[in-house]
Amino acid sequence: MTAPSPSRRSVVLTETVNGLTPVLVLFSIFLTLRGHNAPGGGFSGGLVMGSAVVLRYLAAGPRGLRSLRIDPIVLIGAGLLIAVGVGLTSLVVDGSFLESAIWKFHVAVLGDVKIVSSSLFDIGVHVLVVGVVMAVVVALAEADDEMRGRR
Amino acid sequence: LILLLLAHLLAAIVCLAPGRRSARWAMPIAAIAPAVTFGWLVSQTGAVLDGDTPTVDVEWIPQIALSISLRLDGFGLLMGLVVSGIGVLVLLYSMAYFGRRDDLGRLAGLLVAFAGAMLGIVWADGLLTLFVFWELTSITSFLLIGFDDTNAAARAAAMRAFLVTGAGGLAMLGGLIILTIVGDTTTISGLLADPPSGTLTDVALVLVLLGAFTKSAQFPFHFWLPGAMAAPTPVSAYLHSATMVKAGLVVVARFAPAFAAEGPWRVLVVGAGLASLFIGGIRAMRQQDAKLALAHGTVSQLGFLMVLLGLGTPATTYAGVAMLLAHALFKASLFLSVGVIDHEAGTRDMRRLRGMLRALPVVAASVVVAAASMAAILPTFGFVAKEKAIDGLLDTDIGAIGTVALVGIVLGSVLTVAYTIRIAVGLLGDDAPGIADDDADIEAAHGPIDASAVHRPPFALVGAPVLLALLSLLFGFGAGAVGDWLARATTSLDPATSSKHLVLWPGVNEALLISAGIITAGVALWWFTRAATRTLDASYSPATVAYDRVYDGLIEGARRTTAATQSGSLPLYLAVVVSTVAASLFVAIAAGATDSISSPRFSNSPVEFVAVVVTGLLAVAIVFARNRFGAAVLLGGSGYGLAIVYLIQGAPDLAITQFLVETLTIVVFLLVLARLPSEFSPAPPWAPKIVRIGIATAVGVTVAVFALSASGSRTEPSVGEDYVALSEPEAGGRNVVNVILVDFRGFDTLGEITVLAVAGAGVVNLVRSARRQQRRKRLEDGTLAEGDQDLDTGRKVGVWR
Repeated sequence: MTAPSPSRRSVVLTETVNGLTPVLVLFSIFLTLRGHNAPGGGFSGGLVMGSAVVLRYLAAGPRGLRSLRIDPIVLIGAGLLIAVGVGLTSLVVDGSFLESAIWKFHVAVLGDVKIVSSSLFDIGVHVLVVGVVMAVVVALAEADDEMRGRR
Repeated sequence: LILLLLAHLLAAIVCLAPGRRSARWAMPIAAIAPAVTFGWLVSQTGAVLDGDTPTVDVEWIPQIALSISLRLDGFGLLMGLVVSGIGVLVLLYSMAYFGRRDDLGRLAGLLVAFAGAMLGIVWADGLLTLFVFWELTSITSFLLIGFDDTNAAARAAAMRAFLVTGAGGLAMLGGLIILTIVGDTTTISGLLADPPSGTLTDVALVLVLLGAFTKSAQFPFHFWLPGAMAAPTPVSAYLHSATMVKAGLVVVARFAPAFAAEGPWRVLVVGAGLASLFIGGIRAMRQQDAKLALAHGTVSQLGFLMVLLGLGTPATTYAGVAMLLAHALFKASLFLSVGVIDHEAGTRDMRRLRGMLRALPVVAASVVVAAASMAAILPTFGFVAKEKAIDGLLDTDIGAIGTVALVGIVLGSVLTVAYTIRIAVGLLGDDAPGIADDDADIEAAHGPIDASAVHRPPFALVGAPVLLALLSLLFGFGAGAVGDWLARATTSLDPATSSKHLVLWPGVNEALLISAGIITAGVALWWFTRAATRTLDASYSPATVAYDRVYDGLIEGARRTTAATQSGSLPLYLAVVVSTVAASLFVAIAAGATDSISSPRFSNSPVEFVAVVVTGLLAVAIVFARNRFGAAVLLGGSGYGLAIVYLIQGAPDLAITQFLVETLTIVVFLLVLARLPSEFSPAPPWAPKIVRIGIATAVGVTVAVFALSASGSRTEPSVGEDYVALSEPEAGGRNVVNVILVDFRGFDTLGEITVLAVAGAGVVNLVRSARRQQRRKRLEDGTLAEGDQDLDTGRKVGVWR
């Protein structure tokens, strides 16, 4: 079950994935954001987005990854940076590491919006998880390349 | 005090920060810190000598009673003056010596950082404070010796010096900790005021002495010092003659009055000191490089000082301090003079130097004065100090060891005189009469230098050595005043020294006669060996060889250990890890954790019953799977089953995560499996079926039993209810599970994602290094043409750089 070579690529799979990707991405963001009040959260959200990446790889092979134009290590770093940044910010503002701050706004169309700083933390987790999943898939794709090079 | 140390740190940072771009201003800026220190110390002299000792105590890590405690007593004042005074001179000298070099900033920064650390040692009152600064000097010294970082010999010498002094430092740390406990105090002053005794104290003292010996290059650790001459000459002058090597002596001098009578102290100190005195002296006779000869001479002199300061009687302590001052002055002066000659004439080889007397008259004069002080010839300060030393040794009543020390020092001094004359004549003289200019090999290889081509050195270069030599002379003439001053300074080491004094001309007495005998014998020794020593090869050093053997042995041992424990066999690693888990759990269970085993209900509903049974069956089936693919699918199935159980039990968060993780795991599993043979590889020969079944069963049973007992062994009330209650008001979230993750236990999560990040980064790096290797191989094979390479680089910009 290596990623298909261009000639063996399934049109059906490719199209399905193309259609599914935006849905999966939206769903993963939804999961992450709702996590605060209902089942979900950054980790599961990140995994959903990670599965989108995996699907793209299955459908289009390494090219499907390359078209993303993102280095997984950048995602990993960014995620960690966001999480630590939230913690440090609350350390500076509140005097204790990772203490949640709650902001409430009233926005015209959406109604009352409540933002909790720990949601930001969760977003960091999300980004990082996507990066790690992607790193693993990239490693597999590399091995693919290598085999093809040998053949 | 602490401000002065911080000033050194600041100056170091200022000089180091600009990196390669720094220029000449670095040295003068660096010199400000020691200059200010010097000035401040001078202004404090009166107060400190009257017994008013400023102390500083800054808490650092109170949990382990670690604080920076400094104390400026008379001895600290004296040493501080030496360290900062010579520091200023060396920094200014360096400015002229190096001219324009783009790494001057680094040198200046390291030198001033070292000066600060050294001041920390001489002022330290806290035992651990002492150790901290002690290690700082080791590190800065390492960087300074290896300053010429493109030179492999310099790097090796730096490493050797660092390992030796670092090992000594660790020994000393052990000793200091024992002393802290035995003496029930964290300060040196407290320890000396109420010295403990006993076997444990003896052990501690031996450890402290080990540290002092390594730092002060005492036998058998003397070998690193000549190697350290790979450092630039101003560095050698400062660290390896005047200051750092005195650190060991400082510690010995402080401890000796209180502890010298303890167990093995005097035997060790006198033994190591005399051995160094002789070995250094003999090896100084063999060197052709003036700087190396001086370095061996330093080992020898340090041995002399070690004996004096280590004996711990008031008279020898006093003489030792005087000698310490004398040595700092003349040795720094000599080193700097050698630097000038090297700088202007282009060589330090004593066989090639000639005509220096005419070419560099001022430097020559300072060499003569400093050498006279080293050889203890009237009327220099060296003479006064050595006179006092012999006098003090004649006076002591510490039994046979005092006699041994006296005889050893007299014989060693003969050597000192001989090598001093040899160095002075080698540096300055034309070839000594009686030696024909027929050293064909030397002449052919290099030839003598042309004295008329020697440049005149600038004032800044000559100033420092001349000033130091002048001081050697002035202190000699002003021996009375200096002596009184020293007497007041050394009372902080031993109150009984207050009545001591120095005189230039003591009148004809025993000590003077001995001195005369030493000088006569020394001159004779030089005269009769001067021809023989011209051709000696000086490179062999048994101690260095021994060190190298130990070092290589260690590396080899580490390699073998790694080879033995890290076989690279995945099954073996797994077996070890898993058996360890089983064993440790078994111990916990055997220790009584089973009391609390609860028997949970098997299922609460028909649906759950089905889910549990299916999950269990799938898990059992994995064991019987014949190929990898089947096993992976079964594993995934059992994971899904578990997720359903979670869901039924009312844990949707857990269920979602379990589902997703399971899905991704299976996909990755399958992708990997596609590259492996479909059947399991045969078991390794060391693990027959029975062993594998045994290990697997052991782990399964222990983990299950542990899980059951752990869930039933709660003794404290659950925090769960508090979490639920606090979730909404405290963290603004209604999903308790998630609030726990990102708020209550946010730190845990942060730790976990850090682990994830590291793992991810590791994967990415593995891929990249594999790719690099592959490309190198292809390049070597010639299958990758230039164009392909470009293509490859182009792709690097893409997804996975």
